[in-house]
Amino acid sequence: MNILFDIRYYILYPSFFAPIILPGLIFTAILLLTTIWFERKAAARVQMRVGPYYASKRLGGYLQLVADALKFVFSEVIVPDGVNPTLFALTPVLVVAMSFLPLAVIPVSVIPPSGSIFSIYFYDFYDPNVGLGVLVGLFTQYNMLLILAIESIYPAMIILMAWSTNNRFAIVGAVRESYLSVSYDVLLLMSTISMALEYHTLDLVKIVQSGVPGILANPLAAVTFFIAMIIGSARFPFDIAEADTELVLGPATEYSGLLFVLTMAGSYVGNFVYALVFTDMFLWGWYPLSGFPGALLTVIKASILVFFSVFLRSVYGRYRLDQALRGSWKYIFPLAIASMFLGLVVGYLWIQ
Amino acid sequence: MKSGGMELDIVPVSGELNVGPQHPGSGHLRIFVKLNGDIIEDAEIDPGYVHRAVEKLGENRNYIHLIPLVERPAILDSVNMNLGYILAVEKILNVDVPERAQYLRSFAAEISRIASHLYGMGILAIFIGHSTGFMWGFGDREVWVQILEALTGARITNSYIIPGGVRRDLTPAIIEMTKKAIAFQRKKIKDWERIFLNNPNIKARLQDVGVMTREQAIEWGAAGPNLRGSGVYYDARKSEPYGAYSKLDFEIPVYKEGDGYARTLVRFEEIEQSLRILEQVIKDIPEGQILSDRFFKQIPPTRLKKWWEGQRRIVMPGYYASFRPPKGEAISRVEAGRGELVYYVVSDGSAKPYRLRMITPSYRSIYVMKNLLKGARYADLVSIYGSLDYFPPEADR
Repeated sequence: MNILFDIRYYILYPSFFAPIILPGLIFTAILLLTTIWFERKAAARVQMRVGPYYASKRLGGYLQLVADALKFVFSEVIVPDGVNPTLFALTPVLVVAMSFLPLAVIPVSVIPPSGSIFSIYFYDFYDPNVGLGVLVGLFTQYNMLLILAIESIYPAMIILMAWSTNNRFAIVGAVRESYLSVSYDVLLLMSTISMALEYHTLDLVKIVQSGVPGILANPLAAVTFFIAMIIGSARFPFDIAEADTELVLGPATEYSGLLFVLTMAGSYVGNFVYALVFTDMFLWGWYPLSGFPGALLTVIKASILVFFSVFLRSVYGRYRLDQALRGSWKYIFPLAIASMFLGLVVGYLWIQ
Repeated sequence: MKSGGMELDIVPVSGELNVGPQHPGSGHLRIFVKLNGDIIEDAEIDPGYVHRAVEKLGENRNYIHLIPLVERPAILDSVNMNLGYILAVEKILNVDVPERAQYLRSFAAEISRIASHLYGMGILAIFIGHSTGFMWGFGDREVWVQILEALTGARITNSYIIPGGVRRDLTPAIIEMTKKAIAFQRKKIKDWERIFLNNPNIKARLQDVGVMTREQAIEWGAAGPNLRGSGVYYDARKSEPYGAYSKLDFEIPVYKEGDGYARTLVRFEEIEQSLRILEQVIKDIPEGQILSDRFFKQIPPTRLKKWWEGQRRIVMPGYYASFRPPKGEAISRVEAGRGELVYYVVSDGSAKPYRLRMITPSYRSIYVMKNLLKGARYADLVSIYGSLDYFPPEADR
């Protein structure tokens, strides 16, 4: 009895639960399956096709991705001549690791002092800004900045991956990724800062618990953040760095087998991370729930966002690099500045 | 270090990219691209990876045996490829084709043109990343391919048109299928406009990309929709009517802009005009023979009874395959899906052509593409390629 209690204590401990189970590894893996299945099924519906079907007929082809992944895992990993094999094998792992890391610091719910299965950890994850515990792997009061800081390592890893494969198409893809990452990181930071100015905090939990959803408080920042999220996670119409008809597969050109699966997973996980931040910042996160149901509410909202952004594939083609850059610097960047002014003005008038 | 160590050396970034033949955006073609940053300084186009030596093989086969060969270079537009060759052979043979067969030729050729344009749209769409356009292009094409299958017995390599006429007759079931297909295609073109033509993303990728002025189009020898997208009113169906085109009412869409979007619009409007032609053919097609009397008389009565009566099919006796046309030479022009297709056939009186020359529209796009690529951005390579509707096997022959 005592042992069972101990096991439960450690499994539900937010530093384990958040990174490994709910928004973390296990849930993200399931979401990845579902997202890619949804992406293919939805596109198939638009395109008058059936989509994945034969791998598991009763589940509507849900396990097709498992079949694909198994096939990739057992196929040979070809290491090209003239590359550093260690770097070649290491960088896809780093890409996936870096895309997963922010999940440890994104708050997905709050812990009330009593009544929730997480209530025993109330004091360990106490957030003085709102007077509640926080369900998160590692709590800091500056989690907004920390998430963005960790997430901004991801494009660097993509560039490292392209560099280590020593392929011309990969390097062109890396150059495109570096151009894009500069533009979308600026947009992400500016919309985040405008929210921070408006709510007088760098703590996502306080924004959610304030009771006003960010999308009403600062719609401009929401639009900016959403577009930056689409660019940042390489969804259509900004699938520019790995444009397959132009660059074969961009930075992932030389990869095969298991390493290829890893390179593909990164952008989906990145999309989920941005979607979680968007949910917390603009879509009211878990509010008014708390504890485990609150966490569920957050990830469901984020999952719907991810589904929406993968659905764009069946509507849009692909912009050119210069068009995407012109769009983000000429049209979205002024919008971001406007959102900052809005945040400043509203934040000045609205003292919490 | 004048400015406190903050100075950057700007190195000119230039290099070569070898696009193809094993590349998702090249087809059976190698494009050797010299890049300066994102701008293409020069593009060397290296065709020939799917060369089938059609012209040389043409000197070693009988006239009839050449029909399946000449339609292979552009199997998605095989009726037009077939028709052009037969027109040249008929000029040497000096044979009259019955009216009904002329209408059937136009009917099959227009279906082939629609199918070919839809194929081109699909390829253009996937080149610029629009997977829905790709699937729709190939999905809509299926409808037309099925009509061709019902009419000719084969989905793509039809070999439908033979010297003197056509092989099979139109049946009420096929007319019914075609009416349904026309209604379906009209409805789908509305959908296409919504998701593809009026999509801001697609417009951004095609408008002002690969701009070819009227003078350039004529000088570089562009053909077909690419020429008409640059404001030149030229169509072999109008300038030198063949088949039943002189009796059919249709327009030639012309756009002045000369960019990829204009070429795409020309193709879409040609689909609409082809649908009009199909409607007219269904309405106006006269009764009568589908093969010239000169050849029809050679069919033995048992074959006529087995194939012609009831099934309305032409099955010629074996010796038809080795007919010997008189000495002479002939040139024919048809408007294939991608543009003007020219055949030149020289006969020395034997059962095999002395010389067969075919000038395909895609072959004429090579120089156009090379010129358009200069100064374009690298991402526009696929956009220009797709909007020219270049089909490598057709160019390589």
